[in-house]
Amino acid sequence: MLLEVSNLTVCYDRAVLINDVSLNVDEGELVSLVGPNGAGKTTVLRAITGLVAWDKMTLKGTSQGDITLKGKVMFNGKDISKTPAHQIVKMGLVHCPERRRPFKELTVKENLMAGAFLHMKKADLQDELDKVFKLFPVLGDRLNQVSGTLSGGEQQMLAVGRALMSRPKLLLIDEPSTGLAPLMRQEVFNKIAEIRSLGITIMLVEQEVASVFGMASRSYVLSTGKIIAQGACDALLEDEMIRKTYLGL
Amino acid sequence: MLVDILIDGLIKGSVYALLAIGFSLVLGVARIINIAHTALYMTSAYLIYVGTKIMGLPAILCMVTAIFLTILLGLLIYNFFIRPIQEHEAAMLISTIAVGMMLQEVFLMIFGGHYLGVEPLIGGYATIMGVRVTNQHLLALGLAIIVLVSVRFFLMKTRTGLAIRSTANDREVANLMGMNVTGVAFVTMAVSVGLASIAGAIVVPLVTVEPTMWMHPLIMMLAIVVLGGLGSIEGSFVGAYILGFAESLVVFLLPNGSFLKDAVALTIMILVLLVRPEGLFGVSFEEER
Repeated sequence: MLLEVSNLTVCYDRAVLINDVSLNVDEGELVSLVGPNGAGKTTVLRAITGLVAWDKMTLKGTSQGDITLKGKVMFNGKDISKTPAHQIVKMGLVHCPERRRPFKELTVKENLMAGAFLHMKKADLQDELDKVFKLFPVLGDRLNQVSGTLSGGEQQMLAVGRALMSRPKLLLIDEPSTGLAPLMRQEVFNKIAEIRSLGITIMLVEQEVASVFGMASRSYVLSTGKIIAQGACDALLEDEMIRKTYLGL
Repeated sequence: MLVDILIDGLIKGSVYALLAIGFSLVLGVARIINIAHTALYMTSAYLIYVGTKIMGLPAILCMVTAIFLTILLGLLIYNFFIRPIQEHEAAMLISTIAVGMMLQEVFLMIFGGHYLGVEPLIGGYATIMGVRVTNQHLLALGLAIIVLVSVRFFLMKTRTGLAIRSTANDREVANLMGMNVTGVAFVTMAVSVGLASIAGAIVVPLVTVEPTMWMHPLIMMLAIVVLGGLGSIEGSFVGAYILGFAESLVVFLLPNGSFLKDAVALTIMILVLLVRPEGLFGVSFEEER
């Protein structure tokens, strides 16, 4: 198993955001995590890549209250539950955050370089850049444009491109389709499929269930912090209750 | 007169730029409003006074040592008085005010309220378009500009500079790029205090050294940062020269009215804010959580 999460529980103050979640991702898979708004999908990713722990550290003693983080996260055979976020990236577990969040005042090139922060001195830096430009030609055209002025779709391409520059073994992508026009959404999903064909394992968090189920091999369904169903996408679709209640199809 | 104003405005602007850029860097990266910033500028000036006048050491050695020691002091202050309460905005603000006052009182206790001075690094004067300008003023201007150019190079072209700018943009996402945000904050603090102490070292021969010498630069720096737009480096740079020249104009055109310089600076700030509330180069802080 590339990623193995067991009994993950996250509470912000008294609110239980994630309740005893276990999931795993095997090498080469594209696994999706779906569920309604507020189910805790983003929090699962944030807990895996150390951002909940970062919150816990930085918000200690503030009015935000106490954060509880329990459970075990194994990546590539190593326990990373106690590893700080900036070291997790080094191991090849890369998180492309919700709402894209490019560094808005930096140019496209600088954003990609920030993604390559840990690999700046490697000889094949330019090759990696070229790979990203081949995947997203629009980024190559806008190299010196300040990223805050890009369109939503372009910012999403940039966020994914930046994540690729961090050289992921496993790429966690959080809601890439949010706020995009239908055509652009399809484009983004096509690119994600292309990235998978490059041999990068992907875990995709989405609300756009119809598109995701077409690509993913397996899926987890999350609702109010719990995993209520999991398995092959086809099997999930056959379950009438799950399909109607949670997938909205 | 015109040349006087020009040279004086350039020097004041450059020194304010050094101070305001340092202040903005830390504000951007760690969300710290460091009121003690100009108190560290004062510390550097006092250290140079001690080195040259009391211990009789060579001026250059004193400058380098003073800058180094001030950075060290700044990092200690950051680690013990600011970092533990960094996320409590009000507490952090009060803590930095306290540190500034503390430094002021310490210098008052040691040196008294006397007006002290330091010899110029170089003597003589040059004549520019018929106006005598001391070489020390030109040296100060030259040094300030060299440092400003180096800072720009550091921020725009180095890996650490990229980490600083990324962290200032979005601390949380910077983590996801493998940047150690705590480490970046320390480096930024060192650069920021370094700029303040360099500013102190550059102007010390031109100003009187006394325990409240940090107040006027503090007011100017805050006005500059608000005028330029909170957290914007370009804004701090441009704002510094605007208020630097404004101050020179007041001092030279109203020989009896130089007490008005703070008032004029703050008036300019208010006028700009009435038209552009986000400042000249307004940056909207990204919502992080």
